[in-house]
Amino acid sequence: MSPTLAWGLILGMAVTNTVIRLVPIAAISRLELPDVVHLWLGYIPVTVMAAIVATQVLRPGGQWMLVPDNPYLLASVPTAVVYHFTRSFFGAIVVGILSFLALRYLLG
Amino acid sequence: MLTRMPLPHAADLTPTRRSLLLRGAKLGLPIFLVYMPVGAAFGLAATSAGFTFVQATACSALVLAGAGQFIGVAALAGSGNLAAALVATGVVNLRYLLFSATLAPHLRDVPRWHQVLLAHTLTDETFAVNIADAREGRAERFSMTGVGLISWIGWTLGTALGAAAGSAIGDPSKWGVDFAMPAMFIALLVGQVTRRREFVAGALAAVMALALSAWLPGQWPVVVGAITAATVMTAVPS
Repeated sequence: MSPTLAWGLILGMAVTNTVIRLVPIAAISRLELPDVVHLWLGYIPVTVMAAIVATQVLRPGGQWMLVPDNPYLLASVPTAVVYHFTRSFFGAIVVGILSFLALRYLLG
Repeated sequence: MLTRMPLPHAADLTPTRRSLLLRGAKLGLPIFLVYMPVGAAFGLAATSAGFTFVQATACSALVLAGAGQFIGVAALAGSGNLAAALVATGVVNLRYLLFSATLAPHLRDVPRWHQVLLAHTLTDETFAVNIADAREGRAERFSMTGVGLISWIGWTLGTALGAAAGSAIGDPSKWGVDFAMPAMFIALLVGQVTRRREFVAGALAAVMALALSAWLPGQWPVVVGAITAATVMTAVPS
């Protein structure tokens, strides 16, 4: 790959990503937002995370993968259970990855 | 005789800032541990696509956008079209508009330069950790900086290691790296659901995103599903 193209991508992505992340903060952090907007924004973390998880575990790689052959979906159960009871990210991720490896091996 | 007296204000402030940064770094440690292997996978993918070690590492340091980077590099390597690659990565990262807007009210008194710094280290994971901390009334700009900084170090260092090791690592998916990000998101999601209405909101967004994924490309199903579910939940009284 030519250095011009590679650096063009790196700098272009850096600008794009910083603009996307900064503009809402810069634009509204100093404003008094109506309560309804606060209420709406309050739902954003859970709705985005749920939408990401659903697409990642049910459509890994952009294709539907359903039970019983889906190690992503099955491994998400022990991951969620461990986090729910221990509140340990590290524990949940280790258990999740080990379950995923075991399930992928067992499911072929 | 005048002795050198420390300014009480400065003396109080310095350890406080440091302890806040350290507290943030501790909160962000699990992110660091996940970003290292996934960053290494990116370093490997980037060098395989023709990036040099310096380019791969600079990319992670300057961009800090997990999926966006993978997609940008793959799109450029596949098409050679810079504009198409930039559009692809921009679309994948649209959800950051929502995160940024959600974080904004918590950054009211933060100086502009510090807002830029926090915006640069805004990722799915740092956002989830910081917003949960903010809801407990604890997050402030230095703890958020600590979360962002340790995540940035993990991602950049991981990329450098992956780019340097190259094919010596072999296929990173054999170590289960494929599930590192989903596992992190699952834990973050479980942490977000504290009330019944949040559970309903999440379920609605998940169903919407899956239904839309048949028609919409990239991350659009996630963005549209999340916005729709948040709007429905706001409109329907509890």
